[in-house]
Amino acid sequence: MEVLREKVEEEEEAEREEAAERAEWARTEKMMRPVEVRKEETTLTQEMLRDLEKKLSEIQIPISAELPAFTKDTIDISKLPVSYKTNTPKEEHLLQVADNFSRQYSHLCPDRVPLFLHPLNECEVPKFVSTTLRPTLMPYPELYNWDSCAQFVSDFLTMVPLPDPLKPTVQKEEKVLPKKYTIRPPRDLCSRFEQEQEVKKQQEIRAQEKKQLREEEERLMEAEKAKPDALHGLRVHSWVLVLSGKREVPENFFIDAFTGHSYSTQDERFLGIESLWNHKNYWINMQDCWNCCKDLIFDLGDPVRWEYMLLGTDKSQLSLTEEDDSGINDEDDVENLGKEDEDKSFDMPHSWVEQIEISPEAFETRCPNGKKVIQYKRAKLEKWAPYLNSNGLVSRLTTYEDLECTNILEIKEWYQNREDMLELKHINKTTDLKTDYFKPGHPQALRVHSYKSMQPEMDRVIEFYEMARVDGLIKREETARTMTEYYQGRPDFLSYRHANFRPRVKKLALSSAESNPRPIVKITEQFFRNPAKPAEEDVAERVFLLAEERIQLRYHCRDDHITASKREFLRRTEVDSKGNKIIMTPDMCISFEVEPMEHTKKLLYQYEAMMHLKREEKLSRHQVWESELEVLEILKLREEEEAAHALTISIYDTKRNEKSKEYREAMERVMHEEHLRQVETQLDYLAPFLAQLPPGEKLTRWQAVRLKDECLSDFKQRLINKANLIQARFEKETQELQKKQQWYQENQVTLTPEDEDLYLSYCSQAMFRIRILEQRLNRHKELAPLKYLALEEKLYKDPRLGELQKIFA
Amino acid sequence: MNRLCDSMEPKVMDDDMLKLAVGEQGPQEEAGQLAKQEGILFKDVLSLQLDFRNILRIDNLWQFENLRKLQLDNNIIEKIEGLENLTHLVWLDLSFNNIETIEGLDTLVNLEDLSLFNNRISKIDSLDALIKLQVLSLGNNQIDNMMNIVYLRRFKCLRTLSLSGNPISEAEDYKMFICAYLPDLVYLDFRRIDDHTKELAEAKHQYSIDELKHRENLMQVRLQDERARQEELEKHKTAFVEHLNGSFLFDSMYAEDSEGNKLSYLPGVSELLEAYKDKFVIICVNIFEYGLKQQEKRKIELDTFSECVHEAIQENQEQGKCKIAQFEEKHLSSLSAIQEESELPNIEKMILECSADVSELFNELMMLEMQLVEQLEETINMFERNIVDMVGLFIENVQSLMAQCRDLENHHHEKLLEISISTLEKIVKGDLDEDLPDDLRALFVDKDTIVNAVGASHDIHLLKIDNREDELVTRINSWCTRLVDKIHKDEIMRNRKRVKEINQYIDHMQSELDNLEYSDILD
Repeated sequence: MEVLREKVEEEEEAEREEAAERAEWARTEKMMRPVEVRKEETTLTQEMLRDLEKKLSEIQIPISAELPAFTKDTIDISKLPVSYKTNTPKEEHLLQVADNFSRQYSHLCPDRVPLFLHPLNECEVPKFVSTTLRPTLMPYPELYNWDSCAQFVSDFLTMVPLPDPLKPTVQKEEKVLPKKYTIRPPRDLCSRFEQEQEVKKQQEIRAQEKKQLREEEERLMEAEKAKPDALHGLRVHSWVLVLSGKREVPENFFIDAFTGHSYSTQDERFLGIESLWNHKNYWINMQDCWNCCKDLIFDLGDPVRWEYMLLGTDKSQLSLTEEDDSGINDEDDVENLGKEDEDKSFDMPHSWVEQIEISPEAFETRCPNGKKVIQYKRAKLEKWAPYLNSNGLVSRLTTYEDLECTNILEIKEWYQNREDMLELKHINKTTDLKTDYFKPGHPQALRVHSYKSMQPEMDRVIEFYEMARVDGLIKREETARTMTEYYQGRPDFLSYRHANFRPRVKKLALSSAESNPRPIVKITEQFFRNPAKPAEEDVAERVFLLAEERIQLRYHCRDDHITASKREFLRRTEVDSKGNKIIMTPDMCISFEVEPMEHTKKLLYQYEAMMHLKREEKLSRHQVWESELEVLEILKLREEEEAAHALTISIYDTKRNEKSKEYREAMERVMHEEHLRQVETQLDYLAPFLAQLPPGEKLTRWQAVRLKDECLSDFKQRLINKANLIQARFEKETQELQKKQQWYQENQVTLTPEDEDLYLSYCSQAMFRIRILEQRLNRHKELAPLKYLALEEKLYKDPRLGELQKIFA
Repeated sequence: MNRLCDSMEPKVMDDDMLKLAVGEQGPQEEAGQLAKQEGILFKDVLSLQLDFRNILRIDNLWQFENLRKLQLDNNIIEKIEGLENLTHLVWLDLSFNNIETIEGLDTLVNLEDLSLFNNRISKIDSLDALIKLQVLSLGNNQIDNMMNIVYLRRFKCLRTLSLSGNPISEAEDYKMFICAYLPDLVYLDFRRIDDHTKELAEAKHQYSIDELKHRENLMQVRLQDERARQEELEKHKTAFVEHLNGSFLFDSMYAEDSEGNKLSYLPGVSELLEAYKDKFVIICVNIFEYGLKQQEKRKIELDTFSECVHEAIQENQEQGKCKIAQFEEKHLSSLSAIQEESELPNIEKMILECSADVSELFNELMMLEMQLVEQLEETINMFERNIVDMVGLFIENVQSLMAQCRDLENHHHEKLLEISISTLEKIVKGDLDEDLPDDLRALFVDKDTIVNAVGASHDIHLLKIDNREDELVTRINSWCTRLVDKIHKDEIMRNRKRVKEINQYIDHMQSELDNLEYSDILD
């Protein structure tokens, strides 16, 4: 009969329970609201932790309250604690209160949906929703902040659609929010800027195309939207509301538990709120949701807007607002008046659920079974736990061209813990271009590798972490006929090298690619400015035209000039009229000099420069070949890595790291043995005998002697018993074996091969047992006297039998 | 060591000998043939070896301007001379000669390796210019004073030293001493100094070295102070107000003024002088501060101007470069087209097109240049106007301040005259109380004498003030003129250079084209 109306002042609540934050589960059209943080109290770690707890506590609801059908199959009810199966008197009381509240509510608001107050839990026991929340502190720093926590929860939950999208399992709800996974409107395929430009050029054509496009889009949109429209506004959903105030939360916002995303309370996709709750109370929304949640005011202390079920648990708070409350109550519900005082003392019972425990494995695994597939419009996202896939794959995003998801556009795969530091693999299905991205640490310092084929001498771009390379190579681009390399930070200031190849001459002799490099037509090298040299001596670009035996040089431009010196060497070896080799003639070097200088006109200078260039040319050619070899090597390495896809394991990961695991286990074993040994040495032989004597008294000599004798004889007896026991077993085994042998000999003729096999195996086992027993007996016989002597020795030395020693001394 | 040579006739370092040596040591094989064909200029030679030649006197080396390495070992040289021009020398070997003193090395600032092994040197000095010295070989000489080592402390790069075979190397403390005094040394007498020895040596000579270091530090500090003072003065000089930040001008007024000094002993004059000096100094300081401020302003103005001009030139150059790059690209492709073309008329047509391109480029570049010249001219004129205005204002203000000085002086003069005359009257009346110095009393003979004396003092003062003012005005004016001239001249130079560059480039292009034409026609 009682509806508890309470005004809860958030601040007071916070002070008192300091639970600091309330997780409120809003459920109406179902909503879950998580914890709210109010008040700008100085953020104490404790409070923060509680905040965390609350958030975590949310996790339970979907499992226990909302999806009983689903959880039932997977949870073994028998192992759940009693609190899951029964209700305490207080809970019963609470349920009565809730029933009462619900009845009054449906009486007063007959046209609203019945409240979602106490669904059945996995054990088919009705439980009040607030008691399903239990603030829990988890040891993972990721769960400390709402965003990563929400992300975890969303990964951890599996979405199972309600049997009836219009109702939560037990109760009926009227209003429905669109589901999180509603397809978003298709992308606007034409850029506005482009359109404008094009409109200027060809307005009419554009207009037409645009129209077509728009029609197309509309059709698409309609096709896609047709379904959700039918139930729009009728679906139910639960989500989390975080109230502003605590922990620097500046404003209220929603978190959707399935995606882990946050939404503004203004978001249009949340159509309304029926009720909300946290672990302390339950509120019904009395505001109109005609404009989605945009106009809702989340002041839970306002009893006009939010009808509460339990009077606030904060006494101090209540006293402030009590008068208002009673005033309102007087007017509204005369019935309640009498009971109010009583009700006030009613607290929300302690949560019946167990504390959430997330093992590090489960935490790392995140998703159920470590795998989760999320289907988006034209895209599919798959997630895996680290180490689940042997190649380190942790997530894969596939985008499709069409809505039916048949034509793949591109695939992105993210990897973790790869030994080759591969981080992301991007496959563009339309161009067939594959791009691998690496983290720093690849043996070849790879950063990005994009290719269409793993065959050498095809189009490919390899980027490197140039700091990790001795030669400062940043990027190497290859096509069938060229290779371009970009450098940085080299002592010789080389910045660029470009080589053109001619197709390989087919040789008859068998030769592999390595030994038959493609002939080089041209090598172009560019250099940065070397500040140590004057500009007119600092080569900016040199081109080796190998086929024409020509070398072109272009120098850097001086700061105050606009032209740069150039020089061209023709390396023809000619013979003069007398048959002598012409070493150098002025026309072998054509040069343009900005500031003509005397010494450069000299043949000797030119000759030396040319000789130098010849050597350089050889080196460059060699470099190009080296680069080609390196590419081959990289490709080989990549193939090997792809085949092996070894994963690295952190030395701190004691579960996966085999070595450290072995080590730890060995240590544990040693510890255990040590412990056993200690226990043994601590065994008190005398204790049972001393117990017979009055405690605390010193032993007389006579007593000591007797004690010793008793102890020894007892020990002797035990040794004999043990020997007898072994002997008895030995004899028994032998007898049985004999019997069996006898039986076998009698029935040998009639036995099936199976029986015979059985018999033979029995025999061998029995023989083994007998042998062992025999060994044990012999060993016992050997050791028994020694053990006896050892004990005697020990007893002599025992301080409690000091009397004994005296005598012998 | 030269006994063998002693018996032989000393040789003269003449052109033939040098040529021979250069030829022998120059490039070999193919390059050698070329070199022979062309001849080698001495100034292109980088390394020269003249050992075992019985040379007595170093001579004729002045042409080897770029020489890096010179070996004159195993001769009978007695004096280091004739090396003044070889400023690029890095390595000099004068071992096994008869040198007695180190000299003539003051211009070889790049020298890193110096060998004077086996000579007759008895003292290490005259090496101050060799700041890059790394290796010094002075073995087998006659150095007998340990204190020579202290001299070597100034060579911060010195790592290798050899002194064996000198009298000092006999000393039992020889090695320790050197290690202690030259802590940066790595090799001594061709052996590496181990750390242990270094430590021992340091401990042993710590006291004297500390003292030495202290003295060096003091010297360093004094040098720095001196330098700072110099810089400060330099700064004031560029502001044309040096020595105006105190009583310097006032003091100089009285420095040559004997009458004034005498008169200051008159009763009441010293107080007057004191007040006068204070006021005078205040005005001087005003001028000084104003001068510094103005200097700062002028500097900012000049900096802004240079920056703007620089930017304009840079931008223009970028445009030029861009034009050339475009042209070259086009030119290259048309050249290759010409080479592929076989029809003569076509070739001629294309060549014509090319040369049209070249002249087009010329026009463009020249237009750019002319444009820049005009722009710069305008800017420069504006700057000139501004700077002249600033200087004019400065002079005006300084002159008005100087006028104040003169007023003060006039005022002081009147007061002094008054006192003098009244004193004269008192003396005449004989009721002067105080004793006056004799030379002062000598002035008070009659009224003319005393008035003349005071007047002379006044004239000297005014002269000093005028001189200072004139100096300031002249100097700033000449600075201004020079600055403006320089800017104009620089701009003209720049323009000439650019035009020359453009012409040169165009000529080159044109001649290349002509050659092509020529060769094509030949073909």
